[in-house]
Amino acid sequence: MRFAFRADPRRGMTAKPAMLRAGAVLVLLAAWQLIAMVRIWPPVFVPEPAAVWRQLVRTSTEGYSGYTLAEHLLVSLRRILLGCLYGVTGGIALGLLIGIVPTVRTLLGPLVTFVRTLPPLAYLSLLVIWFGIEEEPKIWLLLLASLPPVAVATAEAVRGVHEDYLNAARSLGASRWEVPFRVVLPSALPEIITGIRVAVGVAYTTVVAAETVNGVPGIGGMVRDAQRYNQTDVVILGIVVIGLSGLLIDFLLQTLDRRLVPWRGRG
Amino acid sequence: MKPLLKALALVAVLAVSACGSGGEEAAAPGTPAKLRIGYQLIPNGDLIVKDQRWLEQALPGTEIVWSKFDSGGDVNTAMISGAIDIGLAGSSPVTRGLSAPLNIPYQIPWIFDVIGDNEALVVRKEITEAKALAGKTIATPFSSTSHYSLLAVLAEAGLAESDVKIVDLEPPDIQAAWQRGDIDGAYVWTPILAELEKDGAVLVTSRELAGRGKLTADLAVVRTEFARQYPEALKVWLRQQDRAVKLARTDNAAAAAAIGRQLNLSPAEAGRQLGQLVLLDAAEQRGPDYLGTPEAPGKFAENLHSAAEFLKSQQKVDAVPELSVFQKGLATRELADAFAGS
Repeated sequence: MRFAFRADPRRGMTAKPAMLRAGAVLVLLAAWQLIAMVRIWPPVFVPEPAAVWRQLVRTSTEGYSGYTLAEHLLVSLRRILLGCLYGVTGGIALGLLIGIVPTVRTLLGPLVTFVRTLPPLAYLSLLVIWFGIEEEPKIWLLLLASLPPVAVATAEAVRGVHEDYLNAARSLGASRWEVPFRVVLPSALPEIITGIRVAVGVAYTTVVAAETVNGVPGIGGMVRDAQRYNQTDVVILGIVVIGLSGLLIDFLLQTLDRRLVPWRGRG
Repeated sequence: MKPLLKALALVAVLAVSACGSGGEEAAAPGTPAKLRIGYQLIPNGDLIVKDQRWLEQALPGTEIVWSKFDSGGDVNTAMISGAIDIGLAGSSPVTRGLSAPLNIPYQIPWIFDVIGDNEALVVRKEITEAKALAGKTIATPFSSTSHYSLLAVLAEAGLAESDVKIVDLEPPDIQAAWQRGDIDGAYVWTPILAELEKDGAVLVTSRELAGRGKLTADLAVVRTEFARQYPEALKVWLRQQDRAVKLARTDNAAAAAAIGRQLNLSPAEAGRQLGQLVLLDAAEQRGPDYLGTPEAPGKFAENLHSAAEFLKSQQKVDAVPELSVFQKGLATRELADAFAGS
């Protein structure tokens, strides 16, 4: 990861890629409109872009399932934020321990991989039995989804810290507790942030699963409700909103990355 | 642009070939080469017909394909894509299917069962009347017949939907939430209903609601095109359903055993569940309270119409269709033809 080629993010997007992207979106919309218009499939399968737009207006003003689109999205974002907050904090702590203490690595390493490979829907019903139907099981699910990527990334990064840094710090008189927090953590930060980006992505895909149980309000709950009533236009609206807000959050994380780790790619 | 056009042409070809796969070559006049049935695991006559292979025997030249569905919503989707010819769906999804924007070209030739004691509202023992539900948390699987019945109970008690916290849970989650004490009640069906009854009290059943005009039912739907093209096959299908209802009445043990085999239940339990449903034979189906006759469509159309009004209030359909839409949705002609001699 560290030395992988990566386009320089500091350079602002020039005019050409911006136009290219806008063009791609337009072509996609045109193709969609065309397919919807020729009615190969009934509108229930392929609603027109205009129908999705109408649903956007309707869900934003009148609401859907008793809540407006913004309320659905905010509730989901709150769940993601809380779940990721706990997951990332736990993941970094666990990753540090796994990376630094060999015994912990032996004990917990396989467990983290075990949890990471589980599909969230498989254990959601357990979380419902343990934590009920309100917010707790959803936050727990997102925590469990977002913790492993951060833990793995942190552990790998910690193990990859250059020996020279540690020796240098120790010979300059760093104490036992200063080494992990002032040397290991900063030099592992780029990978940790990559881990966080992955974790937020995983949490985003998991929120729809989390909201299959008493998920309204919530954007995933909204999509599920609409799907059951064959309201495909609302389903597509929900998917677009999830995708766009995911893009936005990833963009914010990238900005954070540049702020926190300006040295990335120059080490 | 060329590759795009190619891709479009490809999907068009695929779509056309997909649409054309629905049993074109008739085995005998009025019967198709293939009859695709979407069934659900509900202890009614359909499972008896399936278990006894009556359709296979009565339509020897036709290949009968049985596909299991878990909800009426999925049956609607399959109907839209033309993947099944006859299906089973609850009155709520069928109302949606007959309303805009779905407008599925299908009709109701048969009522499999009227939901009776197998769906009920179970609450904590201290709640003794519907009015006391205000401020309580009640669970039900949304979009189901139970959901419709729950809201009917609230309306009867003069409560608004917002007076009660209604949560959307699937039956297994309802059981978990009930045991944890997260909910004060649930409108749900068996077998979870039986679990809740152990330490709860039944406030109202769907049988009682049906008696007060808020009827919910499991319905058969047939693609209009199929009914037009293969009237003989539909007649045979209807007669087998009637035969199953009569078997359930005359030889309950045999009917229960057949259903038990299909549901992996003991005959005793299958018999108990069968007894909770109201089955209607051909004569009753043609009565004024249900499907009626071509000259006088039955009251069931009004029931679907009021279900559509409910769905409109839930923003689940765009508009409430005219009553005549639902009257045309009842396949009374086909029903009358199938039992013309009886």
